[in-house]
Amino acid sequence: MPLEKTDALMSLRDLKVEFDTRHGRVTALSGISLDVKPGETLGIVGESGCGKSITALAMMGLVPNPPGHVTGGSIHFQGEDITRARARRMRKLRGGEIAMIFQEPMTSLNPVFTVGDQITEAILLHQDVSRTQAEKQVVELLATVGIPEPAKRAQSYPHQLSGGMRQRVMIAMAISCRPKLLIADEPTTALDVTVQAQIFDLMRDIQREFGVAIVLITHDMGAIAEMTDRVAVMYAGRIIEQGTSDQILDNPLHPYTRGLIGCIPVLGREAAGAEALPPLAEIPGIVPPLHLLGEGCAFAERCQLADDHCRAQRPALEIPALQNGGHPVACHHAGITTRAELPA
Amino acid sequence: MAKTDTIPEAVSPLREAWGQFLKNRPAVFGLALLSVIVGLVLYGHFLHDADPYDIVWMPLTPPGDEAGIWFGTDFLGRDMMTGLLKGGGPTLLVGLSAALITVVIGILMGALAGYFGGWVDDLLMRLTEFFQVLPALLFAMVLVTLFSPSLWTVAFAIGIVSWPQTARLTRAEFLRIRELEYVTAARSIGAGNGRIIARVILPNALPPLIVSATLTIGVAILFEAGLSFLGLGDPNTMSWGLMIGQNRNYILDAWWPVTLPGLAIFLTVFAVSLVGDGLNDAFNPKLRSR
Amino acid sequence: MSDPLLSVRGLTVDFQMGRGGLFSPPQVLRAVRGVDFDLTPGRTLGLVGESGSGKTTTAMAAIRLTESSGGQVHFDGTDLMTLSQTQMRRYRKHLQVIFQDPYSSLNPRERVGAIVREPLDLMDVGDPAARADRVRDLFALVGLRPDQMALFPHQFSGGQRQRISIARALATNPQLIVCDEPVSALDVAIQAQILNLLRRLQGEFGLSYLFISHDLGVVQFICDDIAVMYLGEIVEYTDRPTLFSKPRHPYTAVLLEAAPSLARRKSRGYKRQGIVTGDPPSPLNLPPGCAFASRCPQAQERCRAEKPLLQDTGAGKVACHFPL
Repeated sequence: MPLEKTDALMSLRDLKVEFDTRHGRVTALSGISLDVKPGETLGIVGESGCGKSITALAMMGLVPNPPGHVTGGSIHFQGEDITRARARRMRKLRGGEIAMIFQEPMTSLNPVFTVGDQITEAILLHQDVSRTQAEKQVVELLATVGIPEPAKRAQSYPHQLSGGMRQRVMIAMAISCRPKLLIADEPTTALDVTVQAQIFDLMRDIQREFGVAIVLITHDMGAIAEMTDRVAVMYAGRIIEQGTSDQILDNPLHPYTRGLIGCIPVLGREAAGAEALPPLAEIPGIVPPLHLLGEGCAFAERCQLADDHCRAQRPALEIPALQNGGHPVACHHAGITTRAELPA
Repeated sequence: MAKTDTIPEAVSPLREAWGQFLKNRPAVFGLALLSVIVGLVLYGHFLHDADPYDIVWMPLTPPGDEAGIWFGTDFLGRDMMTGLLKGGGPTLLVGLSAALITVVIGILMGALAGYFGGWVDDLLMRLTEFFQVLPALLFAMVLVTLFSPSLWTVAFAIGIVSWPQTARLTRAEFLRIRELEYVTAARSIGAGNGRIIARVILPNALPPLIVSATLTIGVAILFEAGLSFLGLGDPNTMSWGLMIGQNRNYILDAWWPVTLPGLAIFLTVFAVSLVGDGLNDAFNPKLRSR
Repeated sequence: MSDPLLSVRGLTVDFQMGRGGLFSPPQVLRAVRGVDFDLTPGRTLGLVGESGSGKTTTAMAAIRLTESSGGQVHFDGTDLMTLSQTQMRRYRKHLQVIFQDPYSSLNPRERVGAIVREPLDLMDVGDPAARADRVRDLFALVGLRPDQMALFPHQFSGGQRQRISIARALATNPQLIVCDEPVSALDVAIQAQILNLLRRLQGEFGLSYLFISHDLGVVQFICDDIAVMYLGEIVEYTDRPTLFSKPRHPYTAVLLEAAPSLARRKSRGYKRQGIVTGDPPSPLNLPPGCAFASRCPQAQERCRAEKPLLQDTGAGKVACHFPL
């Protein structure tokens, strides 16, 4: 498929990823199209199993094979299709121009080397500098990510650091080669809220300073609000809604997105003596297993608005014809919020 | 439309592991081989029934030289085929009972040490270490020499020197599982120590223990062969080890009296190991998704 | 206010750590340092804090699932700490627990029907037929189908497993249920289902919850009273409306500022105010003054020298020399 000219840093077009499982070959991503623009933060949000982490791995060229296979579509990074790139070229890109930080910083650092050594190695792998120069860079990097006494901390082993410090080290390593794209897969899920706030602030500072584009994979709508410019909402291996963060949070068109926002216990300051809060909105049921997906909309079974049409035919991701404009959504009843509004 | 409203069949973790085991070709081959061996040992007398101590022909007759003596004779002229069929029983029996002794002592010691911790753990682990640092073969030789070298002494001796490994494995499993929330959950609904050890932790600790017990059978058979080879087996009970031990001086003149029982031992231990490895893969959830 | 159902005074928990060196004495980590609280019947008390705050240890020690090294716990007039092991086992009928991780809190080798029936077996409640009926009722009550009773835990999703956990906790008609982060391992959509279920059951059976959580949104939704913990101590203890409208302790304020919220938008140039830096001090080596002083934006000389006590301010209690 010819790629239309975009100003995107990374473009996913109709990306398809399949996994071999006990239930046979299962489609984990069925045709994902996404653009990441230079310097922006794109959020990918959804429940576990929706395919958001697979998308992140695909962007890094790291879909585990076996059991995973990229079976269709393309991922263009600065004009180059990385699904067809050689392993050697991918190694050059990974950690160089595309970097990643993970959920659990403890398991992503090697316990037997000091953090300074590990960042030094990462620099030497991608840059043509001497070891002494690299070591000097390490101390600067650790200072950049807000680690006190960076020269001393570079001598520490991962287990001697707290979870927050380890995530800072991961970020230092990720930005060591000035990447253009940083993929963050639930980077704060394992951390306490006060530490999470620090890491988010750091990521925003880094973006402002280095102009790096960030893809933030998360299940947390609060993180989406605070961190992202644009959002893609995923469900059962597809993008079901896409737009600016304000569009998605203030005017969600897909019933699933509305449910996802409505079911969060939102923190709000309340007046003294207030009554108990009303029950939370619920999305009934559970995410259907991927191997049991049928022809219709994957969300139909849990959706209040679902009718026979929804169950028979899967809606495409497109901008609906609504009066107050709109953004891409995959729903036959986009913009309708209650059963009463459904056309007869 | 997804079909999630039909009730799936109940699948117990053990049954799931068994299904996994059946997909493992080497393991199924091992199980089949083992079944053939056990079948021959148990029901071999229907094919060919005789006293293995009877002298039937000239000593050291090569296999196939004489009609009816297909596997040849040993240094006294006894029929090798009879020996192989009759000697398998005691060999397997020693292996099984030694493994049973190992598992019973090992699980008991390991479970108590791992569950209670503290001084109980210290005491039992020192005891375990004491038995572990004993030179196993030497200790077994002493035991067998002190008591009469009967089948049971040999099994007991092997069990006594093998249990520390099982105890350590059990203890490690208990230490791991006792920290899991379902154990705290059992305590929170008022379950006592005995129930928690036997009904909650042990069933979950079993998979690696089953694997280890299976492999112990193989080790015990080799151990028995070793003791018999050194002349410390029970001379009044025909076993594969004894056959090798008694014929070892003639190995340069005749290969078959030593090689054939050796081959029988090899095939048995090989089959047991394949089964053990298959069980290990079946129980190991990390490999399961492949 | 009626008499408290659960009354905890001076609860202290020590953990023996390994020796620092061959000749140094074994180190003692004081995970809970003299905690007092009361839980009123029919209400929910939230224990809030970050990892290492001792919130779970406090709750588990209060119901004797963790050994405490000091303090008193009265439950419905009974001094729990003086009960023998056997008496305590019988007493567990009245206080049950829902655990954090639905994947590890159910025995993988037992059928879920047996898991829910087990408390009834252990407490000799009714005859086998009555127990079977009770288990069916419990399954229906928590939104599971009774025909799923023969399945094993791994055949359920996380949310369904947590429902099984809830059914097990309800089996013996307890008065108190300790909820140890019951929704933190679940996806948001499932989290809402479980939180609504817990609230519905509380209304239906007049249950009292001791609710442990690090998530202030969840706490605000489900709790009536809240105790904020930091490094083994309660630093602020008040009712929900007061805490969320006017936090007095700087740490509470920091927690509220750090908690995720849909109102803080990158698009509107959100910038966080009053952020804390660094990590909490090691519990093995606590400073003499306020434990939060090293990270507190308002800390003064007095805070580093003198330890503030939990004091009544009229609207709740706070342990701070300079409350907000």
